[in-house]
Amino acid sequence: MLNLHKLVNQVDIMYKRLIYIIILILVFASCKKKDDFSKEFNIPPDSVLYDGELAISEAAMNDIVQNVSSPVEMAALIKSLGVPFSKDYLATTDYVDNYNTSFKKALGLGVFGADLGYLNMYNKTSSVIDYISAIKTLADGIHVGQFFDFTTLKRLATNNQNLDSLMYISVQNFNQMDRYLRENRRSSLSSLIVAGIWIESMYLVGEVARKSPSTELSEKIGEQKIIMSNLMILLKNYEKDPDFKEIIEELEEIQALYKNVIITYEKGEPEAVEEDGMLVIKQNDKQFIEISNELMVKIINKTAAVRNKIIQL
Amino acid sequence: MRNYYVIVALFAIFILNNNSAKAQSGQELVDLCNIIADDATYLKDFQVKLDAAKPGEEKPNMKFSVVLSKSTQYRFSICNSKDYPGKAIISLYDNNRLLGTNYVVATGKNYPSFDFKCQSTGVYHIFIDFKEGEQGLAVVLLSFVQKL
Repeated sequence: MLNLHKLVNQVDIMYKRLIYIIILILVFASCKKKDDFSKEFNIPPDSVLYDGELAISEAAMNDIVQNVSSPVEMAALIKSLGVPFSKDYLATTDYVDNYNTSFKKALGLGVFGADLGYLNMYNKTSSVIDYISAIKTLADGIHVGQFFDFTTLKRLATNNQNLDSLMYISVQNFNQMDRYLRENRRSSLSSLIVAGIWIESMYLVGEVARKSPSTELSEKIGEQKIIMSNLMILLKNYEKDPDFKEIIEELEEIQALYKNVIITYEKGEPEAVEEDGMLVIKQNDKQFIEISNELMVKIINKTAAVRNKIIQL
Repeated sequence: MRNYYVIVALFAIFILNNNSAKAQSGQELVDLCNIIADDATYLKDFQVKLDAAKPGEEKPNMKFSVVLSKSTQYRFSICNSKDYPGKAIISLYDNNRLLGTNYVVATGKNYPSFDFKCQSTGVYHIFIDFKEGEQGLAVVLLSFVQKL
């Protein structure tokens, strides 16, 4: 009788221990899942470049606009016009160590990011390695290097294989850096990267337009009036910072020139059609961009001056 | 007896880890969506996770603003996580008008992607919600197709 009682007690203890173990495992497992999710969508905070009062909150800034400038689209336009590749347009990576502040590193990241887009568009993999190395150095410098998959990009570039993947991974890595910075109260650096991409892309289009003028390039330069106004909203939020103030003043000179670019619209009704099983939405608006050659040259010259100041360190 | 506890614990960890490994990550959805986008060049991805709509309330949604350029054909591709019931609906707006959506109410057809032939450079707004306000996780990919 005593033995039976002892056995019942042992079984009871065993079950209790088993339940405790399962509860503990469930608690740990749920914590792990939460952590995984946070790795996907929220990333831990880091240092900030500008921590002062903002005219527009960081949350509202995220709401403003996502892809102010895209290196892919500018490079695609240049290539679509049949303009040959020229390495002369690119910023040198020789002095990457001279980008010695977070401000310069973020701007430089944007500049080299735009150049990488141009190189990728023309499949110039032999030069890509210099640029991805420079980008990795600068990205590490502002603690976002973990998002730049240097090893894979280098392998793809070295083997001259899967060039679509090279473009895809590099653009996505830039987006991941941007997202991380925005989500971790470091939007000032994100804004600088965007500014760097815009300035270098404008420089590339401008230099191509000097040598191979075309209506498409003039329009592309003219329409930047709209894009620039969004870029300036991003940058002006940090104008209390002396470095930001300086670049804002430089860009304001370009913006002043843009006042003479006239953009008019003719509204049309959008239509949705199915083409080969694919839904296609056609926007039937018309947009007219008026920019004189003289004004375009002034904008190109001023942009080149701002860009050269950034890369001449 | 101690071995018995260890075996149970290891088995439970295996089961739980195995289940979590099957959950689709945001990155997996982006990669999948890039395949759906076909030969278009990836530009941007938008990851959306929304709870189910509460009774009597509007469907929750997320808004993203992007700059799109004149004379350019873009592609919006949608990938829904298999771990959630919701099917994402994209609505593309200019400043004040709905330009199009991947869900055609008249036919009830839900397209996994659509192209947008942009004729005016400017800021456009993408609203993403889930059909019938169901809980969902999705990735919307914006890609560049060609200059027009």
